Formats: sequence, structure tokens, C-alpha cells
Amino acid sequence: MARLFARQRGGGVLVRLNELGRSLVLDAARRVATAERGEEPAWAALLASPVDPSRADDPLVTLGRQREMASNAELVVLTAHEERLTDAEAWAWLSTLQVALRGLADEHAVTDEDALAAAPPEVHERVQALQALLFALASCL
Amino acid sequence: MTSTATQRTWDVVVWNDPVTPMSVVVVVFRRIFGYSTGRCTQLMLRVHHEGRAVVWSGRRERAEEYCVRVQVAGLRCTVEVTA
Repeated sequence: MARLFARQRGGGVLVRLNELGRSLVLDAARRVATAERGEEPAWAALLASPVDPSRADDPLVTLGRQREMASNAELVVLTAHEERLTDAEAWAWLSTLQVALRGLADEHAVTDEDALAAAPPEVHERVQALQALLFALASCL
Repeated sequence: MTSTATQRTWDVVVWNDPVTPMSVVVVVFRRIFGYSTGRCTQLMLRVHHEGRAVVWSGRRERAEEYCVRVQVAGLRCTVEVTA
């Protein structure tokens, strides 16, 4: 079976995803971008994670994190149908897919292995699909 | 004069979660902290088996910068005063 992503000699990553895989990437990126606009309440805890739980975070730090996550997600939306990614674009894909995976887990209260095993089949399937993409992409970075 | 607060060191702590692939954790550590793959793998395994690992220690501002970068990459991360 062909690998989903392949490292290129001159730098960058070749994307061999079919339309289904690309639509999964696009949907994940759109959800992260939407969540950053505050329209995914179930993901709020993930996106508002404290840096230092012992005190209120600096609003500038929080804003900077939010901007960077949104910018990564927007870059993924723009490049979801590209055949080749630069290293920066591939990193944005990895980060965004990982945020989407954690958001999905939080949304369905998947806090441990047992909760994951007990999750509805469609959630389990989606988690596994995102994990497979992340695993394949991580092997190229 | 240096205050006690500025003399303290701060830890960047990464926490385990049930869905993140191990290889993603290794890649994130390597890219953000510049560690070798071997060291990243050791830290990842510590997170996996012990539930958390201190991945960097030093000045508070730098620790917070690292923490935000790890959070942007989608991992659970906080900072705390070194025990």
C-alpha cells in the first residue's frame, strides 16, 4: 500500500491522499478555524488551556496562541488539495490535525483508554482516521 | 537585587492523553526543543507511562513561550515552578 505522505528529497512532503482523506483534513481544519472563532463550545476547554494553572494567563499570550492556531488551520484549508506541501505547510497540517483530534476527544469526553473504547463507533472511527493521518505525516517530518 | 521569584526555575510539563499518537509527540518535541530523536522518545515514553514529563526547565518567560508552542501543536502542556 502506498504511503499517504512521502518525504521529498529536495524538502517538503508529497501528499497521496484520495478525496476522502483530503475531505477529512479539510473538515478538521475548518472545525479548528471555527472553534477559534468561539463557534465550537465543546472545544472551548482545549482552546483555553491554561499555560500556568496557578494564575490567570496573560491575555496577550492567549491571543497569540489563538492567532497561531487559527493561522495554521487557515493554511491547511488553503492547501488541502495540494499535491506537495512545504515543510511549514506540513507542520501546519500536523498541528491542526492534532488540535482537531484533541478537540474531538474532548467533545466526546474521551479522557482515557476506557472512554475511547466505549465511544460511539462513528467517534471511534473518526479518531482512528485522524490518528492514521497523523501517524503517516509524523513519519515524514 | 534579584528577587526570589526571578531566581526560581520553571518547568514545562507535557501531559498524557489517550488519543495522541506517540510519533506525533516525538516530532513535536524534536521540532520545538531541538532534542535528538532518542531523547524525544525517552521523554515521550515518560509522558506515556507516568502521565506527565518535564521537558524543559529554565526562565519563566522562556518556559511560557515553549508551553504555548507545544499547545499550538495540540499537546497538553503547562508550566509550573520547579519543585
